[in-house]
Amino acid sequence: MLALAHAELGRLFDALHAEGYRVIGPTVRSAAIVYEELDGPADLPVGWTDEQAPGRYRLVRRDDDAAFGYVVGPHTWKAHLFPPRERLFQARRRPDGRVGFDPVLPDEPPTAFLGVRACEVAAMEVQDRVFLEGPHAEPRYAARRRQAFLVGVSCLEAGQLCFCASTSTGPRVDHGVDLAMAELPGAYLFEAGTERGRAVLDRLSARPATAEERRHLDEGIERARGQMGRTLATNGLPELLFGNLDHPRWAAVAERCLACGNCTSVCPTCFCSSAHEESDLTGDDAARVRTWDSCFSLEHAEIHGVNVRPTVEDRYRQWLTHKVGSWVSQFGVSGCVGCGRCIAWCPVGIDLTEELAAIRADAAAPAPMPVRQAPAAATDDALVPRAAVVIGVTRESADVVTLHLACDPPLALRPGQFTMLSLPGLGEAAISVSGTWGDAFEQTIRDVGAVSGALSALRPGQQLGIRGPYGNGWPLDAARGRPVVVIAGGIGLAPLRGAIRFLLEHPLDYPDVRLVYGTRTPDDILFGHEMLGWASRPGFRMAITVDRADLSWRGDVGVVTRLLRREPLSPEATYLMCGPEVMMRFAVEALTAAGVPSDHLYLAMERHMKCAAGFCGRCQYGPFFVCKDGPIFRHDQVARLFGREGF
Amino acid sequence: MAAATRPRLGVFKLASCDGCQLTLLDCEDELLAVAGAVDIVRFSEASSRPDDGQPFDLTLVEGSVSAPEHVEQIHRLRARSKRLVTIGACANAGGIQALRNWVDAEEVMRVVYARPDYIRSLATSTPISAHVPVDFELRGCPIAREQLLELITAMLTGRRPALRDESVCMECKRRGNVCVTVATGEPCLGPVTHTGCGALCPSYDRGCYGCFGPRERASTGSLAAWFLAQGMVPAEALRRFRGINGWSEAFRKESERHER
Amino acid sequence: MSAEEKVYQVDLLTRVEGEGSFYLRVREGVVEEARLSIFEAPRFFEALLRGRSMFEVPDIVARICGICPVAYQMSALAAIEGALGVAPSPEVRALRRLLYCGEWIESHALHVFLLHAPDFLGYPSAVEMAKDHRAVVERGLSLKKAGNALIALLGGRAIHPVSPRVGGFSKVPRRRELLGLRDALQRGLDSALEAVRWTASLPVPDFEQDYVFVALAGGDAYPLESGDRIAVSGRADVPVADFETHFVEEQVPHSNALACRLADGTPYLCGPMSRVNHHADKLHPLAAAALREHGPPLPVRNPYRSIVVRAIEIVHAFAEALDGIDAYVEPERPFVEVTARAAIGAGATEAPRGLLWHRYQLGADGLVVDARIVPPTSQNQARIEEDLRGVAPALLALPHEAATRRCEQLIRAYDPCISCATHFLRLRIDRAGEEVPS
Repeated sequence: MLALAHAELGRLFDALHAEGYRVIGPTVRSAAIVYEELDGPADLPVGWTDEQAPGRYRLVRRDDDAAFGYVVGPHTWKAHLFPPRERLFQARRRPDGRVGFDPVLPDEPPTAFLGVRACEVAAMEVQDRVFLEGPHAEPRYAARRRQAFLVGVSCLEAGQLCFCASTSTGPRVDHGVDLAMAELPGAYLFEAGTERGRAVLDRLSARPATAEERRHLDEGIERARGQMGRTLATNGLPELLFGNLDHPRWAAVAERCLACGNCTSVCPTCFCSSAHEESDLTGDDAARVRTWDSCFSLEHAEIHGVNVRPTVEDRYRQWLTHKVGSWVSQFGVSGCVGCGRCIAWCPVGIDLTEELAAIRADAAAPAPMPVRQAPAAATDDALVPRAAVVIGVTRESADVVTLHLACDPPLALRPGQFTMLSLPGLGEAAISVSGTWGDAFEQTIRDVGAVSGALSALRPGQQLGIRGPYGNGWPLDAARGRPVVVIAGGIGLAPLRGAIRFLLEHPLDYPDVRLVYGTRTPDDILFGHEMLGWASRPGFRMAITVDRADLSWRGDVGVVTRLLRREPLSPEATYLMCGPEVMMRFAVEALTAAGVPSDHLYLAMERHMKCAAGFCGRCQYGPFFVCKDGPIFRHDQVARLFGREGF
Repeated sequence: MAAATRPRLGVFKLASCDGCQLTLLDCEDELLAVAGAVDIVRFSEASSRPDDGQPFDLTLVEGSVSAPEHVEQIHRLRARSKRLVTIGACANAGGIQALRNWVDAEEVMRVVYARPDYIRSLATSTPISAHVPVDFELRGCPIAREQLLELITAMLTGRRPALRDESVCMECKRRGNVCVTVATGEPCLGPVTHTGCGALCPSYDRGCYGCFGPRERASTGSLAAWFLAQGMVPAEALRRFRGINGWSEAFRKESERHER
Repeated sequence: MSAEEKVYQVDLLTRVEGEGSFYLRVREGVVEEARLSIFEAPRFFEALLRGRSMFEVPDIVARICGICPVAYQMSALAAIEGALGVAPSPEVRALRRLLYCGEWIESHALHVFLLHAPDFLGYPSAVEMAKDHRAVVERGLSLKKAGNALIALLGGRAIHPVSPRVGGFSKVPRRRELLGLRDALQRGLDSALEAVRWTASLPVPDFEQDYVFVALAGGDAYPLESGDRIAVSGRADVPVADFETHFVEEQVPHSNALACRLADGTPYLCGPMSRVNHHADKLHPLAAAALREHGPPLPVRNPYRSIVVRAIEIVHAFAEALDGIDAYVEPERPFVEVTARAAIGAGATEAPRGLLWHRYQLGADGLVVDARIVPPTSQNQARIEEDLRGVAPALLALPHEAATRRCEQLIRAYDPCISCATHFLRLRIDRAGEEVPS
């Protein structure tokens, strides 16, 4: 451990500059301590501290000349690793229908982050799990993260809203940085954490720290640990929260919550994002831009004009149950690092430690939560499309079309997976794969908006953008040797078609296959010709119903569940379901009443997606991401949430 | 796109300051390109081209319904517009001039100026949506140039306009602004106001005063309660919500809660 | 209509701001009726301002006009700060003048190129004009853009700036931010000089009137954001505080806007021509040189020549803006604290279109008790009608269509801002018999 006198701190800047880094660090601006580019030690917030309370932050003069005598302000380092606004790629569309996509990658100069608190190191490590663990890694975040030189600073004073001691994320910086610093009244102490940290350290001409200085450091850290302004009992939080989704405290806090998104914006671990297209007037030259989003925003939970989290209560509950609850199932650690920013920067001063304590004080039984294993991450850029070409178009009904597509290299697909199809300047939509044919594949689209409408209008020879495939596919292995019942509603038959074909191609493994299918009218029946072929196979039976029909229809009229009740419902069978959520809910009820165990039921869930790669956060369903843990879920996995409002 | 199939655009004004129409002219770099991609059929502020009476693909209307002839005019415009978009606080919420809606109509009629029969004005200033269905509301006072261009580009390219309904706070934080309320105690309507201005006022060290109107789920009650708890008097809370978009439902209800 | 009667009318004036029409009837060479009808719906701003905090006044009065919101904010602040005895620092005052330069540039460029120039070359719009004169229209747009950029930097946005406040600004720019505009403004200055040459080359009808020119005065600078007197040609200066004694508003049946005349009923003119006639000696040297080389001889009395005068004022505004940026010193504080007290004050500034006068009565609680505003277009209304009468003889020699266009071109020469003009109806609200002075 080495030491420098206060007056010598300029050497650190010189060393960082000499190694080619620009320095971003704390400075006073607009009545707060924020992170901006610094020229030298004079830019540091010397002699300032922050006094924080719920909804209140004030800079106050210290009576010493400490440069790091504050805790955290409204800025986070996440703004430099995962910028608030970022172009992901440029896209082109030619008059002949060809498309092209060019990724846009980070080009910031090498940067040193000066003044990284222990809780902030922990926050970066949390975001590493979000952006770098599987199934996809985000190359922009990865590049910035790799390149950022971190100078951590341990806290010898804790703030009024700090609780890193409760979350075990501070106050000492002892890992995860290139250089670790601490500020004593008479000296700065330094330790290298990496090779490049050592290279900077070597340039400082610093003297060894004395034993007394080391002792002062340890004492200071212990003092800070004991000074925390807040505490949080973290044991069993996920189970506690998911066992108390109807607690009256949610309604109470919703009276105060403005759903303004400030907490998610200042939180160093929040990662939800949105994306939109920007283009010139013709749309032929376009870019996709990603921006910070929040689970408090309207469009976060919107799919096909329906919002699954319409009320402020839904949204606050989603935020908090995610942050300290389902986050653990998703990433193996809590999303909260105890920095207290969400408390300070909430315009009405909501304090999550208070809310959680209130729920804990008066709680119903906890609920078990899943443990997730992270798969190895692919390293290609999952956010930039490739070109695919339309080789054929089949009109299935008035508003449904199947595109026959090919791309190079071909996709490896499983029934139940989906891709993100896009057109430059227009947008992107998640579309199910409805079958494969050699190297080509089929995707069935219902025209419900601008993007799906434009995709439906494509003609053979034209190109479109494709990302994927994503998702987990139907559990065809697990269903082997048992009867299989496929229950489909409307367009829900599309992601099931590939599965049905597979089942029928392997009659020895699946001797008993039944399809129960409901749709609006006889004209909306999909894949009618193909169904005739299925009907002729031994071991396959089919029952179709429509919501309404004229007298020329000889079949059943009514909802799918009515049909279901007429079928023998074997508890042995595997049930694969896809359709409107309300249909699946009633089907699950009927099947459960008939004694079918929960782990024989499989549902295809649908949630709004911007990235489909596990980053944008929108498709979250409690502890699951529909894009990477689904879209197919076994009912017992999601039973607690399925059918409940607000998730 | 062949000239014959260019979408037809009409730009009209009821009672307003002209700032929202001017925003189209303020797209200096894009104006001639827009005029090439779109057939600007009627825009009397900028062009003497006569109205041909034919339908419009897109009609932009600024201004509130404030005079008897406006009622008739807006119905006629609605009938000939495939898409009618109201631009700006006057058209969307009645504007600052809607403040007169709180004055008793009886009293207004007892106005004493030389010849009241010379003036034709309605007692109220109302949003266009109070009279005809509206396809889209572009918020602002004035609307933002970038958002107007996005609206037009979205129409030309066929995409949904990338215009979000969220709090000003989201944009403030993306810009890296320090919250004026939390750091200095300055009251700010950002949490309940619709984004679109780029978090302008906090970027200039003052509080938002609601130019873009209430966002969805505007929790005005909680925000007002916080203001009062910080020492604001009810009369000031009333004024803060009774501003440019004071007649919009969420802000109107809130200001009325603080009437003596 | 007999053969000797001619009626020229346009039911909805285009390429003017707001809603107006004109009607001119001439029988056997005699003008029987000349009317500028303003039917833009009134918005009753003076009534709306009552009971509002003085700190809200700049935000509210900006909404009177989308083209000249800065003018309203500056006139209001002059009046309120005058009433309270608040003196912003010289640095803040310099910034306000810089902001106003931005608005003159933007408003004049809009008018010259988009609203007025098409008349001189026979086009219905600048977009049509661009088909044959693209470089000219692009120059106009780039001038306007430079003016807007200056307003946006200082004020937050070009339309309805957010930073002007009682006592100064909510935030002031860093020196390097202003310097960042320098190149664009320098290019703007060069373009503006070219614009003077171009407007001076336009064909202009011969038409002169004997105007009473009215402009703000007081101080050594070309009148813009400050002045304590009003110059009236051929008469004594009027102190700003005494405006209402010397200039009288009157309601007319055919207009929603009050018309303003001298106390003896004489119509008068305010705007660029008045300013240059009174204060040419205070023009920036570059603008003065442009006036000497290309401008009309002074005094300029032909309203069709106002387009050149506006171009000269654009040069002046760019030149002043560049000097202002180079001399800029960041104020120590962006605004001074202001204590409320009961007070009355009046203030005037030169909006792009002319003199804009405000008067406020404030209560001890800082709320507005009464507000009076007289905009330039109200003041010019009577003069416009006089000009229509005056131009009638020349029209008789023209084909009807061309004559009508000539009238429109004349009205446009005033750069009328009709939405401004029409809010000034006073609502006198009697509550339970209480007399409220109007």
